[in-house]
Amino acid sequence: MIETIDASRCPRCDAVVAPPATWCPWHPVPMTPTSVRGVGQVITFTTLHAAPEGFRSPLHIAIVELEGGARFVCHGTETRGLRIGSIVAIEAVDNIYYFSHMGALERARLFWRRAGHAGDRVNAIARSLAKRVMKGRGGAAS
Amino acid sequence: MPNVWIAGAGMTRVGRRSEPLGDLMADAAHAALAAAGRERPDFIIVATMNPEEFVGDGNFASNIATYMGFAETPALRVETATSSGAAALYAGVAQVAASLHRTVLVVGGEKMTHLPTPRVSEIIGRSIDPYERAYGATMPALAGLVTRALMARRGVGVREIAQVAVKNHANAARNPYAHFQKPVTLDEVMESRMVADPLRLLHCCPISDGAAAVVLTAERSAVRVAGIGQGADALAVRHRADVTHFRATRDAARAAFAMAGFGPARVDFAEIHDAFAPFELISLEDLGLVPPGKAGRATLDGETALDGRLPVNPSGGLKGRGHPLAATGLAQVVECVWQLTGRGGERQVSGKVALAHSIGGLATNNWVTIVEAER
Repeated sequence: MIETIDASRCPRCDAVVAPPATWCPWHPVPMTPTSVRGVGQVITFTTLHAAPEGFRSPLHIAIVELEGGARFVCHGTETRGLRIGSIVAIEAVDNIYYFSHMGALERARLFWRRAGHAGDRVNAIARSLAKRVMKGRGGAAS
Repeated sequence: MPNVWIAGAGMTRVGRRSEPLGDLMADAAHAALAAAGRERPDFIIVATMNPEEFVGDGNFASNIATYMGFAETPALRVETATSSGAAALYAGVAQVAASLHRTVLVVGGEKMTHLPTPRVSEIIGRSIDPYERAYGATMPALAGLVTRALMARRGVGVREIAQVAVKNHANAARNPYAHFQKPVTLDEVMESRMVADPLRLLHCCPISDGAAAVVLTAERSAVRVAGIGQGADALAVRHRADVTHFRATRDAARAAFAMAGFGPARVDFAEIHDAFAPFELISLEDLGLVPPGKAGRATLDGETALDGRLPVNPSGGLKGRGHPLAATGLAQVVECVWQLTGRGGERQVSGKVALAHSIGGLATNNWVTIVEAER
């Protein structure tokens, strides 16, 4: 089961952006809602060691080109072994999107490091693990 | 375009300044007017990126005009994020070219160092796309994304990037107006703290206070604005098909050279927006000053050093002189004017044509200005 991500398409130039926008950035026409699959290729990534307020360092950020065309900004669990061109799956936890090319343990570690109350972090880990179990049953690639 | 001349240029020393923003901007403005031999302008254009947040003042054109002694001179404010100074220059050039006013004072400044660094970063970061900001993207983070792609896709190396910082620090050490007065070594740059992998601390410009000003006039003077142009790009970095060059720079250069009626080959030296060292390499190629793929090699070979074929950032650039946001685009032009009129001091370069390049936000509204010494 691969995550479905809300996006929008320009009826004039067919550009797809995610998250959806009201107007096409390149044409003064309203965009139409669409969705893209949460899997794609890493365009570039960085690890921020001086994260802004509300985030913890190190903070992994990537731009991923999703299947369907939109380029997407998301967080990551870990950049070890990650390369430009790597295929990653994207999952949403608490409406925040994460790329992942790692196993469940690394993801649990990431959510533990997230800012917020301890209870929220435990919940995030539980939800991430539950999703992974469901994905495993569905036999989806990740 | 009808001829527009720069009759005077002035700026403050850049760095951690204790004076209020009004004093910094007044010093720069009065220095530019004195250099132009004029007591007052017909019109004032003020560039500040965010005085509301940095110093808590609004209605800033009137604020600054009154403070510096021009309460009854019409004034307006121009803002395009970190390129506001260059944008203000454009507005001034347009006014003089259109014969709306004969003498226009353009003054830019910013005061930030009294605030904690995370707060300054947050305020500057508001120029980033809100969705990307919600994911923790700061200017260094976006620059880190650009730099990794540049290294992977264009083969730019860490030494080439570090050499930009080494060169610009060396130039700044010869510039009494610069924030940094000390050279750095290649090793110091390459071993400095990681900020946004692969970008390190000494690849990044400092947070600086300062102000700069020029006086534009329709009357013949020593330096002429030969061309000026803007280029734009999507606010969101993720919307760009290629993050290893800046469309906004290419379009701005095309517009400025078209206005000037000549190409990059005529440029003798340049002030380039090196808020992050790799941006100087990207921009050299986007501006057409160096062939595609050659910027790193040219930098390592010393082509862009003070004594090179094409000196780049003789002032020290944003990296060495410092980056007082809305002052920067004007400080670049002040440096060009000083160099063209033989006031470059220990960092004097030779030439008749200079180019200034300013980036707004993460290259969403960039400017290229070409100035020429009158023969």
